[in-house]
Amino acid sequence: MKERSVTNKDLIHIFSGFKSEEGNLIPILQRVQEKRGYISEEAIKRISRFLKISENQIFGVASFYSQFRFDAPGRNSIKVCLGTACHVRGGQILCEAVERELDISPGQTTKDKRFDLERVACLGCCALAPVIQINDDIYSRMTVIRLKEILDKYE
Amino acid sequence: MSKQNEKVTINIDNQVLEVKRGLTILQAAERNNIYIPTLCAHQDLTPFGGCRMCIVEVEGMRGFPTACTTPVEEGMVIRTHTAQVQAERKEILQLILSEHTSSCLICDEKDECKEYMGTIRKAGVITGCRYCPNDGQCELQEVVERLEVKEIDYPVYYRHLRVEKDDPFYDRDYNLCILCGRCIRMCQEIRTANTLAFKQRGRYTVIGPAYDRTHLEAGCEFCGACVSVCPTGALSEKVRKWDGKADREEITTCPLCGVGCQISLQVKGEEVIGSLPAEDPMVNNGQLCVKGRFCVTELVGNYQRLRRPYKVQNGTKVDIFWEEAIELAAEKLSACSGEDFGMLIPPNFCNEDLYLAQKFARVALGSHNIDTTARSFYESGFNTYLDLMRMGAPLSDLQEASVILCIGLDTRFGRSVVGVELRKAIARGAKIISIHPRHHSLSVIADKWIQPVPGTEVSLLHSLVRLTEKKRTGTTRSKSKGIGESLGDELATVAKTLKGTSAVVILVGSEFLPYDQSPQILEAIERLARNIGAGVLPLPAQSNLFGSILMGAYPELLPGGFSSTDKKRIAGLRKKWNADIPHLSSRSNKEIFSSGKRLKMLYLMGEVPPNLRPPSEFLIVQNIYPPVPWDGGDLVLPSAAFTEVDGTFINGEGRIQRVRKAVDPPGEALPDWEILCRIAKKMGAKGFDFSSAREIHEEISSLVKGFGDFDNPARKATSLTCEGELTVSQRRSSGTKKADKKLPFLLTTSMVEHTYRGFPLSTWVEGASALFAPGVVDINSEDAKKAGISERDEVVVTSSHFEKTWPARMVSEQPKGTLHVTLLRGESVGPNPHPVKIRKKNV
Ligand code: SF4
Ligand code: SF4
Ligand code: SF4
Ligand code: SF4
Ligand code: FES
Ligand code: FES
Repeated sequence: MKERSVTNKDLIHIFSGFKSEEGNLIPILQRVQEKRGYISEEAIKRISRFLKISENQIFGVASFYSQFRFDAPGRNSIKVCLGTACHVRGGQILCEAVERELDISPGQTTKDKRFDLERVACLGCCALAPVIQINDDIYSRMTVIRLKEILDKYE
Repeated sequence: MSKQNEKVTINIDNQVLEVKRGLTILQAAERNNIYIPTLCAHQDLTPFGGCRMCIVEVEGMRGFPTACTTPVEEGMVIRTHTAQVQAERKEILQLILSEHTSSCLICDEKDECKEYMGTIRKAGVITGCRYCPNDGQCELQEVVERLEVKEIDYPVYYRHLRVEKDDPFYDRDYNLCILCGRCIRMCQEIRTANTLAFKQRGRYTVIGPAYDRTHLEAGCEFCGACVSVCPTGALSEKVRKWDGKADREEITTCPLCGVGCQISLQVKGEEVIGSLPAEDPMVNNGQLCVKGRFCVTELVGNYQRLRRPYKVQNGTKVDIFWEEAIELAAEKLSACSGEDFGMLIPPNFCNEDLYLAQKFARVALGSHNIDTTARSFYESGFNTYLDLMRMGAPLSDLQEASVILCIGLDTRFGRSVVGVELRKAIARGAKIISIHPRHHSLSVIADKWIQPVPGTEVSLLHSLVRLTEKKRTGTTRSKSKGIGESLGDELATVAKTLKGTSAVVILVGSEFLPYDQSPQILEAIERLARNIGAGVLPLPAQSNLFGSILMGAYPELLPGGFSSTDKKRIAGLRKKWNADIPHLSSRSNKEIFSSGKRLKMLYLMGEVPPNLRPPSEFLIVQNIYPPVPWDGGDLVLPSAAFTEVDGTFINGEGRIQRVRKAVDPPGEALPDWEILCRIAKKMGAKGFDFSSAREIHEEISSLVKGFGDFDNPARKATSLTCEGELTVSQRRSSGTKKADKKLPFLLTTSMVEHTYRGFPLSTWVEGASALFAPGVVDINSEDAKKAGISERDEVVVTSSHFEKTWPARMVSEQPKGTLHVTLLRGESVGPNPHPVKIRKKNV
């Protein structure tokens, strides 16, 4: 997913479909995320002005749901599967290894914008667990040892 | 509703009780002295039901309902301490403790340990109660004790969260947090400052503002309400971290602004270790702003307090005894004529001190040359400000207002208790309209934020005045120059809102007071208020401005607010005081204080910046801190702070409030009135035989209405009555300068209003310097980008009058083409607003 430039026009367009009511926070957040791939600081600020709720509360609500991201997506997206099959075969260990390697947590993007990281539940190839997906490539029967080599392939 | 319906009969632990319908089980139990352990419940906050400490057994209900969220019902049978309930509670508490630094709580040696581990507390990381600022006053400790948890059957887990120490006034160690949510509810429900929220979820849950912002960045008001309700040591006040529990409290009045909040001073031994809000339904309702909550302790308790009188002789400081100090003062003053004498006093003194100061000048010196520093704060707008005070409405009007118009008011740090009232008003459907040039605490919550371009405030207000005229003729669209068409439309809507209701209150803050056009702005506010029949509530920055007028601490005013040119009044006072007081000469005092004439004697009760005071041959400084620099006076007298004296204040509404002594003054410091009395007596003046503030108060009551009962001041909110007029100087420039090609920016300046006895709070209160940072220039982010300026760059600001260098702060809401800077009292850069140009300083 490519980062889209932040335009206020988008936001004004999104807001025009809603009333300024607290209950509309989550639908608005969903629309923003759909449109831009993530929720930027600027977006939170504008939503705060529109709904008259503080940025702190909006962030609190948004960060509760793992569907919302606060960083622009990186050039490459890593999805680590933590579905049942992958989990029992060490998905968590794999995920932590990626976190260490890239120095980010799930939901974040590396400083150089090279990678972003997400946890997902089941990629649909449980027989090959544990599985990670980078962009459209699936890596099956993953091990921590192979990780670095694979990551090096992406710029 | 019949009586039967209001009460229900329930049974708790085999006691049959009749309780009010609508109470929760917890409330019913507490009112009948039945203990149920709790951690997340708090009497001021809505129930949360998060900690599950308060579970009980209710016959006929499945599982264990939480007492704090379950309402009582007719015939309920409740058991609070069955073996099962207790076992369950212990289990839950163990789970909580497994993520808490619980070693001391469950350690076998804890009692002995307490004996021997007296002084190794200031560890970087808290590893147990003995290292925790909350030790001995902790609700978690208490619950552990009550439930007798001695062991933890779960693996213990330390969260390794960074201790947050970067904000002023309080630290946060969320490793101790039990996620009870009290702080969040306090910040959202009561303060409505909405700084805190739960972030993330599950085992990652933490509390804080958006992203990793500091509280300062996130809009926190530093009211400390969250710190007060935290049951653990997670939130702790920096200055009283290791002071432990107070052993008594004293209720007094905050001297740091005209709201006049009631505070409870926390006293340990002979030291004030903290100040907390007191319940006072008329004024602050259990709330305080950062000044009353956090600044008081450091302000009065700093080790650099002045303890002994000293004189400066040949450039050296010579400590002297009081006798010598009084003698020296009396000798110098006796040799001085009334004409050559001057006395300046900031208006945050008690009425008794203000009264005595003017009596001292008038009787002992035969001089009307007494003035307050408020004159240089309000300058040419002073009389109009007094006019607004004459129309003053009580604060309680806010509770009924349906529209509240705020003019130049920011409630984030100062007056945040008023901000709380405003947000309560919004919650019940009232509309807030705010006129303010910059982003401020009301910009997000106001129904309408009108942001005037500096210099257009008068025309803006005038068009509001015109639009609200009862019988208005002419076109509907206002045609004021320079305020722009779209703003014109907005004003029409605002005018309609204002006219549409009778319950309008106008609040006046400090933003526009230092403007050149403040008299016209204030006058327009007055006319607007008359048009719509609104109550006006000026919120003075000075705590006892009202008292300074009624006590007559001005050359033009006598006690009672009478004019000093009133011959009959002077004659009356002569009789009353049995002294020869001069008639006010035609040469007004304003000239004396600003003509540059060199006085023989100048008496400063408090700090006054050199360019706001006349030069003098001999200078007496009486204050709680030494002057800056230390040899800034010839004779320096140590006086007592407001925590060390009895007296009264009058707040901005006109209410008389008590100031109560909590501790003795440090060293040999004395109350201000006592010092003045001693000097006056030494000079042979009569009428200074007072032995307490109470006696002075009695004398005041024979001259000023509403005074009398010292212990229970009777005067409620009353608007100002003052016959006298003040002579005010006209400001340097009239009319407003516009920016042009050569000087493309408009600079506005505000004055640091957070002062006590003339010095800015930031001088003696560490945290205050982070909040009230003077000398930083705010620039619109885009303007800054164009000029190649980034955050904290040094910026040179030039005009035809001055050139100054300030660090820059990017503010996206600062209107384009404008700059803003806050100055210390006594600093001035000429006209306000002021066309200037900027450039980045070459490195
Ligand atoms: S918060 Fe309370 S229980 Fe926890 S370490 Fe501090 S004093 Fe002990
Ligand atoms: S100090 Fe006041 S405003 Fe700041 S977080 Fe605590 S309750 Fe909220
Ligand atoms: S910081 Fe204190 S008040 Fe806030 S949730 Fe944690 S323990 Fe409760
Ligand atoms: S609002 Fe004014 S009176 Fe109240 S605590 Fe703050 S400074 Fe003191
Ligand atoms: S659980 Fe990982 S692919 Fe199904
Ligand atoms: S006190 Fe009832 S659940 Fe916490």
